[in-house]
Amino acid sequence: MVEQICFNTVLLDSAKEIFSTMVFMDLVEITEPDVKIDRALLGSITFKGGLEGCLGICCDVQCARAIAVNMLGMDSDSELTEEGTCDAIGEIVNMIMGGVKSRILKDVGNLEVSIPSVVSGNNLNSLEHKSIRVTIPINIDDKYAAELSLLYRESI
Amino acid sequence: MSKSLMIVDDSATMRKIIMRTVRMSGLEFERTEEAGNGAEAIEKLKTAPVDLVLCDVNMPEMSGLEMVKKIRTELKICEGTKIIMVSTESSQELIDGVIADGANGFITKPFTPEKFQEKLTPFMN
Ligand SMILES: [Mg+2]
Repeated sequence: MVEQICFNTVLLDSAKEIFSTMVFMDLVEITEPDVKIDRALLGSITFKGGLEGCLGICCDVQCARAIAVNMLGMDSDSELTEEGTCDAIGEIVNMIMGGVKSRILKDVGNLEVSIPSVVSGNNLNSLEHKSIRVTIPINIDDKYAAELSLLYRESI
Repeated sequence: MSKSLMIVDDSATMRKIIMRTVRMSGLEFERTEEAGNGAEAIEKLKTAPVDLVLCDVNMPEMSGLEMVKKIRTELKICEGTKIIMVSTESSQELIDGVIADGANGFITKPFTPEKFQEKLTPFMN
């Protein structure tokens, strides 16, 4: 069953839905990525059940701030704190995961998800090999290069 | 009669978004409270009960599901309080479970002001 799921579509559709309904920003997949993300923030959430793995969104600090500002409907980012930015990215990844979950529910059953965490850098190294990774370079509002990623394996 | 509301979510961003969406839905509350998890919500509800609680599911310390169970079956407080879950969770099993435990409704994230209006209006009288 898992082989038949197009995780690329599932991930992208979920992210697009969240960005259009909760962030009010435009998200598109880009085919020729120029993803050099400096001062990156990585929001990630782990899941277990019929599948286990990690879903993340990685973008630079400026992009993260723009996302937070839009989500909160603020006029500018002058009052946005670092904590507020991280919290917004955590909630983005939480909602994208929710969308992925509901889209694959009938194929893999319910997944239990963690509390999202936001760090700078990469924290995926605790997952072993045999994991399948989907990464989608994206562009937000025609302005920010960012990346969606999904790392998963069938649980044994 | 004016109503009171509590928003329970571990994300401060989400609490703000929910508050804004409530306002956009045209519903008015005379008093609004916030809590970052189920345990904090229960502590606040003990001293200052509210009419309506909008509660996340996935939270550290005490999840929304645990909170509903505790309020409805263990503590048996806030009997007049309606609890509406607001979550990215959307499995029917989970929704049925928490309703059986005593929650009064379920709104899935992402949501719209229209959804809030539809789900909350029945509890405004
Ligand atoms: Mg939460």
